[in-house]
Amino acid sequence: MTRLRRLFLSLSLVSLVLGACAPSSAPPAGGTASTGPTRGGTLIFALWQEPETLNPLYATQTVNTLVNEIAVEGLTSVDPNGEYVAVLAREVPSMQNGGLKVSADGKRMDVTYRLVQGVKWSDSAPFTSADVKFTWDLRMRDPKVTSRTGYDKIEGIDTPDELTVVVRYKETYAAFPELFGSLLPKHLLDGVPDLSKHDYTRRPLGTGPFRISEFIAGDHITAERNSNYRVRDRPLLDKVIFKIVPSREAAIAQLKAGEIHGMWNVLEAQVPDLEKDPSIKVSSVATGRLERLEFNLAKPGNPADPKVPHPVLGDLAVRRALLLATPKQQIIDKLLYGQAKPGRSALSIGWAASKDVDQEGYDPAKAKQVLDQAGWLPGPDGVRAKDGIRASLRLSTTSGDKVREDAEQLLVTEWKNIGIEAKIQNSPSSVFLGTWAQNAPRPRGDFDIAMYASTPDLDPQVYLAVRFQCAQIPQTANNGAGRNVNRFCDPQADKALDQAGATLDLQKRKEFYAQFLRILNDSVANVWIYNNNRINAFRANVGGYRASSWDEITGSIADWDVRN
Amino acid sequence: MGRYVARRLLQAVPLLLGITLATFLILKAVPGGPLAAYEADPSVTPEDLARLEHAFGLDRPIPEQYLEWLGRFLTGDWGYSLATHLPVLRMIGDRLPNTVYLMGTVYLVTLLIAVPIGVLTAVRQYSWFDHLVTGATFMAFSTPTFWLGLLLIIVFGLNLRLFPLGGMGTLGSAFDVGDRLRHLVLPVATLSLVGIGHYVRYLRASMLETIGQDYMRTARAKGLMARIVIGRHAFKNAAIPLVTVAALDLPELFVGALVTEQIFGWPGMGRLFWDAATRSDYPILMGILTVASTLVIFANLLADVVYGYLDPRIRYS
Repeated sequence: MTRLRRLFLSLSLVSLVLGACAPSSAPPAGGTASTGPTRGGTLIFALWQEPETLNPLYATQTVNTLVNEIAVEGLTSVDPNGEYVAVLAREVPSMQNGGLKVSADGKRMDVTYRLVQGVKWSDSAPFTSADVKFTWDLRMRDPKVTSRTGYDKIEGIDTPDELTVVVRYKETYAAFPELFGSLLPKHLLDGVPDLSKHDYTRRPLGTGPFRISEFIAGDHITAERNSNYRVRDRPLLDKVIFKIVPSREAAIAQLKAGEIHGMWNVLEAQVPDLEKDPSIKVSSVATGRLERLEFNLAKPGNPADPKVPHPVLGDLAVRRALLLATPKQQIIDKLLYGQAKPGRSALSIGWAASKDVDQEGYDPAKAKQVLDQAGWLPGPDGVRAKDGIRASLRLSTTSGDKVREDAEQLLVTEWKNIGIEAKIQNSPSSVFLGTWAQNAPRPRGDFDIAMYASTPDLDPQVYLAVRFQCAQIPQTANNGAGRNVNRFCDPQADKALDQAGATLDLQKRKEFYAQFLRILNDSVANVWIYNNNRINAFRANVGGYRASSWDEITGSIADWDVRN
Repeated sequence: MGRYVARRLLQAVPLLLGITLATFLILKAVPGGPLAAYEADPSVTPEDLARLEHAFGLDRPIPEQYLEWLGRFLTGDWGYSLATHLPVLRMIGDRLPNTVYLMGTVYLVTLLIAVPIGVLTAVRQYSWFDHLVTGATFMAFSTPTFWLGLLLIIVFGLNLRLFPLGGMGTLGSAFDVGDRLRHLVLPVATLSLVGIGHYVRYLRASMLETIGQDYMRTARAKGLMARIVIGRHAFKNAAIPLVTVAALDLPELFVGALVTEQIFGWPGMGRLFWDAATRSDYPILMGILTVASTLVIFANLLADVVYGYLDPRIRYS
């Protein structure tokens, strides 16, 4: 353990020292006079985390996707506005274009994809409908795949010809365009008994703009231009090298020194320093990742009984007062250097989000008033109480996270002002985010307020259902299944969500989601603090990158160029 | 001697078994677990988690998991990483050459510099050279490597631009010996400086003790050359504490330097261990820890054997 502690110490020192001492005089960026993109060249992009695997079926971290998506493509993808777009399919199947057909009884559906003609894998083998079917087969067969969500709703896949795929669903499944975002080559992997032992996990073969040519563990990943890429004159770069660096701070030092061209995942606190450097440009965009305060509506226990309300948080007035006394904008400005957006609802961006659903703003005077009216009156120690119960709550998050710990301090002070006591009780993320089986406090319900973040999928159905429906409250009866850690249960909300999931018409679904989000916000089961930004940084001579709320920065890599 | 070594080797077997069992139990007791990474993924359902737990064998009783690991380990199958799904042997194989390259250089540089300095300071006790070295070595081994490493990066990497900021070689360029050596300078300097501090202190102390012995006076009285007196009679006897320290450092050739590798972005065993520890990747951790404990046991044995060569009075039976 002392070794680990030493490492933590060293890393925080790296940040201190490198952050403070990096020279501000980096070589100037050149070539500003040229017009149009530059062709050729090598770009070095730093990652401070090493992808565990490049196999899209096994990926769990964003950095895995960041790298594998330059080589691996799917039938559909998502554009920066959160709309589905076709990639290897000619169009996104819908009722309107005839690609989506629901059976007469409304219980099953068929989705037909017409594939783009003439697409080749980067080893020149033709891409066909058999590859789509193979990808599904593999996902259902391999026990080590990360998730089968959605794919397990498929009954079978027909391939009437090389360019047509008919996916037969056992039930209507509205999130179908999310599936088949990564396709695997049948000609390479057919008959491989265990994919995890195949070289594919390190050097995936795809149809994307680049092909991974080398993966040197702990050091770098090299990708070379895919000469078979279906888009003419793309990609612009000849080579991209992902350099594994020990920390963000090391990446920043190398970016300033010009040793690398770009870096992934900059911290909010690092942006002001980078923006001062004229040779560096910062790319920042809001994402769906939502930092929240999650209130336990049930009386804490191990396991908590969802039928017994929380003695303090069970009262809507207390929850509302906590919301009114949470200065979202101040947290963003002070702790995140303005690089975030105040949270509005469980969904803030994407097609399913509703712009008119929002939470009440910061108003501590009103918070006091709400508590007074509800009968929570200040005791001798300044902490409010009602019927002999003190308004004292535990506030928990992942320990060692500076922004979260600072936010906790700020909240303790703010809430103290309105007469609610918060005691900080943090634990390491492996414990805090642990499972029911590991006896972790969140799934077990042994907490008051939890601060953490999660990211909804573009199709939010599963995400919302497992978190906010009555049946998804983890308890002994269901062996801890479900992620409704709030212990939130509202039949109206359940119904709206079920309806949204059962409808295929996007416009109608959007209305049901709005209904659901409003009920959830009215209950104030959560304070949506902020939506994180996705922040990457580049040397000023790099061009062509586009930030997307829904995709990693490498989604635009075919258009990147480096001017000299 | 042969029987002594054989007996020591036999004794090592139950010791190693005990170590692996203790390590396994400690790793399993650490909160969190290898599936924590999946938890954060919104598309991973509880059924997915149960399936993965089963696929990785994590749903079985811990004694069974241990016995299975042990059985496979002994037949050369070290299992698969739970994070990368690659064979443990391959992942160690990817990193080991880099660590041996770094730590081997450090080891050589440390010994080559520390031994002459240590001997010289003892021979010239209380000279200005001795005072200088004493001061410098105290500073060297009191310096934490992470601080020294960062300092060297800032001064020689960022400010003077003499050496690269990290990595094993310049990316995107062809293999070049000079480039490789330039990347080696700062991490080796960081680790060697601290090591030299230790070794010089040990050697100086034991040399001073030896020089004061009666047989040294006898050797000098016989009219032997100073070089032979010091080299053959004094150093060989004084080297015993140094051998102990150097032998116990040998396993570092395999384990690597956790902190220094992290600071310099060196793709070695130290970083592999760190990554595996943060992900609760048991198979990797078990592989590294078992080899490391084996090496510690062997290094101890090696030290004992070398004592016998250095000091024929030491006999084992």
